[in-house]
Amino acid sequence: MSLLSLLIFLPLVAGLLILILPSAWQQRYKYISLAAVGIQIIIAAFIYLNFDGNTFSGIDVQAKYQLVERVPWINLNLGRLGYLQIDYFLGIDGLSMPFLVLTSIVMLIAVISSWEIKTNLKGYFALLMLLNTAVLGVFCALDFFLFYIFYELMLLPLYFLIGMWGGVRREYAAIKFFLYTLFGSVFMLLVIIGLYFSVTDPVTGNHTFNMLYMMNPANYVQGSLFSTIANQQLFGMSARLVGFIVLFIAFAIKVPIIPLHTWLPDAHVEAPTPVSIILAGILLKIGGYGTLRICVSIFPDAAVQSAWWLGLIGVVSIIYGALNALAQKDLKRLIAYSSVSHMGFVLLGIASVTAEGISGAMLQMISHGFLSTMLFFLVGVIYNRVHSREIHDFRGLALLMPKYTAFVMIAFFASLGLPGFSAFIAEAFSLIGAFTSESVNGLLPRWMAIAGSVGILLGAAYLLWTLQRMFFGETRLMGGEDWRLKLTDINGREAFALASLTVFALLLGIFPSLAFGKMNASVLELIRLVNLK
Amino acid sequence: MIPLSHFMFVSAALFCIGLFAILAKRNAIMMLIGIEFMLNAAILNFVAFSKHDKLASGGQVFALFAIVLAAAAVAVALAIILNVYKYYRTIDPTRIDQLRD
Amino acid sequence: METFIQGNLSLLAVVAALLPLLTFLGILIPSKSSRGASLAIFNIAVSFLISAILFFKIWNAEPIQHEINWFTIGQTTFKAGILLNNLSVLMLLLVSAIALLVHIYSIKYMEGDAFLYRYWAYLGLFCFSMLSLVITDNLLLLYMFWELVGFSSYLLIGFWFTKESAALAAKKAFIMNRLGDLGFLTGIMIVFTQFKTLNISELFNEGGLVLSAVIQNGLWLNGTNQMPSIWLTIAGLAFFFGAIAKSAQFPLHTWLPDAMEGPTSVSSLIHAATMVAAGVFLLGRIYPLFDATVLMVIASIGAFTALMAATIALTQNDIKRILAFSTISQLGFMMIAMGVGAYSASIFHLATHAFFKCLLFLAAGSVIHEMAHVKAKSGLDFDHQDIQNMGGLRKIMPVTFITMALASLALSGIPFTSGFLSKDAILIQAFEWSDGQSIWAKLIPYAAFLTSGLTSFYIARLLFKVFFGSFRLQNLSKNIQLHEAPNAMKYVLMVLAVFCLFIPFSQNPFDYNSAWIFKEITGLEPAHEVQSNYHLFIPVTVSILTFVLIYLAYTWYGKRLAGPDFSKNPLFRFAQKQWYFNELYTRLFVNGTTGLSAISFKFDRLVVDGLVNLLGKIGVLFAATSGWFDSYVIDGLVNGIASFAKTIGNFARHLQTGRLQHYLLTMVLVVLTFFVIKLFFPGI
Repeated sequence: MSLLSLLIFLPLVAGLLILILPSAWQQRYKYISLAAVGIQIIIAAFIYLNFDGNTFSGIDVQAKYQLVERVPWINLNLGRLGYLQIDYFLGIDGLSMPFLVLTSIVMLIAVISSWEIKTNLKGYFALLMLLNTAVLGVFCALDFFLFYIFYELMLLPLYFLIGMWGGVRREYAAIKFFLYTLFGSVFMLLVIIGLYFSVTDPVTGNHTFNMLYMMNPANYVQGSLFSTIANQQLFGMSARLVGFIVLFIAFAIKVPIIPLHTWLPDAHVEAPTPVSIILAGILLKIGGYGTLRICVSIFPDAAVQSAWWLGLIGVVSIIYGALNALAQKDLKRLIAYSSVSHMGFVLLGIASVTAEGISGAMLQMISHGFLSTMLFFLVGVIYNRVHSREIHDFRGLALLMPKYTAFVMIAFFASLGLPGFSAFIAEAFSLIGAFTSESVNGLLPRWMAIAGSVGILLGAAYLLWTLQRMFFGETRLMGGEDWRLKLTDINGREAFALASLTVFALLLGIFPSLAFGKMNASVLELIRLVNLK
Repeated sequence: MIPLSHFMFVSAALFCIGLFAILAKRNAIMMLIGIEFMLNAAILNFVAFSKHDKLASGGQVFALFAIVLAAAAVAVALAIILNVYKYYRTIDPTRIDQLRD
Repeated sequence: METFIQGNLSLLAVVAALLPLLTFLGILIPSKSSRGASLAIFNIAVSFLISAILFFKIWNAEPIQHEINWFTIGQTTFKAGILLNNLSVLMLLLVSAIALLVHIYSIKYMEGDAFLYRYWAYLGLFCFSMLSLVITDNLLLLYMFWELVGFSSYLLIGFWFTKESAALAAKKAFIMNRLGDLGFLTGIMIVFTQFKTLNISELFNEGGLVLSAVIQNGLWLNGTNQMPSIWLTIAGLAFFFGAIAKSAQFPLHTWLPDAMEGPTSVSSLIHAATMVAAGVFLLGRIYPLFDATVLMVIASIGAFTALMAATIALTQNDIKRILAFSTISQLGFMMIAMGVGAYSASIFHLATHAFFKCLLFLAAGSVIHEMAHVKAKSGLDFDHQDIQNMGGLRKIMPVTFITMALASLALSGIPFTSGFLSKDAILIQAFEWSDGQSIWAKLIPYAAFLTSGLTSFYIARLLFKVFFGSFRLQNLSKNIQLHEAPNAMKYVLMVLAVFCLFIPFSQNPFDYNSAWIFKEITGLEPAHEVQSNYHLFIPVTVSILTFVLIYLAYTWYGKRLAGPDFSKNPLFRFAQKQWYFNELYTRLFVNGTTGLSAISFKFDRLVVDGLVNLLGKIGVLFAATSGWFDSYVIDGLVNGIASFAKTIGNFARHLQTGRLQHYLLTMVLVVLTFFVIKLFFPGI
């Protein structure tokens, strides 16, 4: 068994172990999860350190992927329909490797914050581990069918995690989340099938789900639905454009974009802290990753055609998300909306199809992974203590919880893009990429970058306003003396989680080459692929 | 000389009376009487028409034959009615409905 | 030693910049720090020493540039590096010197504060960012440190965060600076797109990329890259917008007066001497980028700001606010100088202003310090920063008075002071520049001239109100004891006072051309040696005007003769309310944005989410309908056929009575019918 499979299925094994163990051991489930995630981090670190970002650029050539595993999985002779060939095909390149590291770290934090979960521990940790497996699988899968299986597999544990351990309106939020995502992925399945019948394996001549083959126009069957040359029409549009749009919507719901974002505030607010962390830290990134790996790579021509719209959606998401964040009274909802705003930069960067833009978008995803994790963790801290996260219920917390306030300030300033933290480089380069786009490839007009930068200003506005309202001034609490006693400063476990996240955000902000060095070749390769069209 | 049509009228009247008795009566014996009426109407016709067969008098022979048969049939029918009465304690045919669904 | 220093100058510069960061980390990370002050002062002192060494090594020598690869995106490698030329070492020395003095001053000034260690840590962070800002060779890094100084300024303004007004002021300062940062970022985006590098010396040196780029047919060309030429102007304006926010120029000036909520030592270091000058420094760094339009805008904004802030300073009563508006006004002077091409004069004024304004603030701090003591001891409730509550302090605090008076003279530009030299440099060059310009442009030097007069009046008013006459609170409480400032503070004031004189800057007290800063900091074009009669005319008129106004101020405020009461005058009220900019911005932008956000959230809830929920409801409704349809129509049809058959069957069954008589009757009827038909329709 090789490294990626080990990484993916280790949590599953841990989850099964938890299921097998008697309930009398339920206080130890979290340690089992912690151990699994710990090993996962070690493996991820090993992968990161041994990752060669220069020679192995990945994207559309299997030989340029690292840690490739390709085993025939489902082989069925369908008679006249040909030979159904699905591979268990894993591999990583500069676009996916950073997310493995991110996932491992975010999962660690999620497990650490799961200490607060008190009910039905067996189910909770088993589902958490299943989710972990699914997410890692999504980032490693290179066979579209396998990808889809992992992609759908994520939904199930998330649905139950939100629906069973969530807040007051958890059923509503869970259903909303589930339906939204399913809405996207059902149509995605249609496109997958369409692609399957359009693409053949150049070696065996069978139809294939291999994503890498889908990226090469030469592998398309002549006259097939998605063939570049045939230029088939669907609903009065180019079939490839339709395919792109459908796939994009599927991933864009995850990102999320305006106006497909409304599942996010509800899901975040109702989900328990660890699930919010996973949602914001990893799940949203699957949208961005999928857009790069699948939408842009498989349909580069359509991506270029719709770049303007993607950029516009990005800019609107940035500003709209920030404006909505400004109007929030619930801290968690505010952070949820700020996620919408921050993920807008990702879309803007991707739409620019410039090295700066895509690198910026990638870094923004990683950076947002760390920072939103931190933010949700911080919200969880006060929510666990007094069961309120209304901004108006608190005032002058800085006097009461100085360490906590310090971490809040770090997290807030990091996410509003203070230099030195990862978000700054990420947002700056997403914008620079969007701005250069007009000179480099003429995809995005320059005003989009300038309009997007307004989001940075609004980001400062809502975060600083919150800081001023909740933490500064004389201490005044909704719950009075009772709350004053309950609001103890953070403990060692929380400090460890927060400090490690701070370190990661700082490291990436000061040495962005830690990320750029590993992904640059892949980004350039992706741009080459798009420019080939 | 009585014309043939008069016999026909009497015979038709007899037939109709017999038919009415069969259709309207709720008593098996009365219905049997109705049947006899109708038979006798037929016999009357035989006798009346035998005028045209002076040599063999086929009609009259047939009439005698029919009377004998009718007597035998009435005997059988009365026996059945008696048995029915014994079994059902009624001879109203509408109440003998055990074969009904 | 000597060779080591010579060989590692750039390394030394990095050390100088990083030492204060060490203060920050060293105090905050262990989170139990009593040794804050010693660590901070030691680090900044070493920084200052290194800066001094660097200054003497590099001033007028070959500039040093050193850089390492930072990260690579695409084909572009971004480098982190330092550039030490005359401008940067001057700033390095200036910043570290003033920072050191303020550190020493703060020992006493901040004594006894509950969160003192945080104060030292934040100061460390600020010094680190500011020193790095002046030595970095790269616009991206410059931008990073630019934001970091903003951040440390945020922390220091909000140092007394339990005070609502301080928290608000900090937020306001950061957000307004953020707005300017957007301009800076836009500028970076334009420059990067056009030149594919952000290295300052590659871009802005003589023969650098910016100067070799040409404008042809409305296109701004650099090799193969091109943009419409309007982007050159936009780039200049964008960078200037960044400078506007940092240097508190109109229209983004309103944060600076509010920033006075921070400790006075902070105000003097950050909001008077160094950080706010960073805007001017930025303009100096990227000077070749500006085209004529942008320069005109810079000069106009500078002139307007200088005049406006001076009028406001006339009417304020809070000692720190007067100084804050004075700072804004003086920064406006520097902007005018930049705009009219008096590059060296601008930097020169930056340097002289840094010292005398720092001194003004520190002296004011010393007064406030005493007043706060009085307030604490006497138990009276009064505003200890209001100059109307002061007076007669001349005799009690002689050192403070003398040093502050010197600084005020420098600010008014009296001969023999440093301010005279730099202010004259600006005024004369502004007048020279306006010759042959349009009428509109001619207004600029006159505005500067007028401002210069107003400046001497408001600072004289402040000085006379605080130090002359008699102490006004004496009547309220008998046991008020006032003292001179503690020694640490006193010596700092005295050191600074030396730099208010002409001596450290020039041998000739009347000719700015002989000032060494003026001579050696040159823009790309050498300072034009036009011998116009302005050189005589301006200093004389300005000085006469200054003396007249100071005398007027003395008669009104010094001698306490009944000065005119302006409080009914609408112009006075207009100025006192700071031209209503705060109210305007609150109405327009703050309420506008929050209103917009409320609308947008309503939209999100009602329309976007409403649509989704509606979709969900429609789904449910559709399901219900289809459920109804299924059970009643589809299933109903099946059941309907069955029940129809049953009905027919039942009907038919009724015919089958099982009664012979009925059958017979039917038979008879049928036969009869047959007969009837045969009878009446024989043809059938």
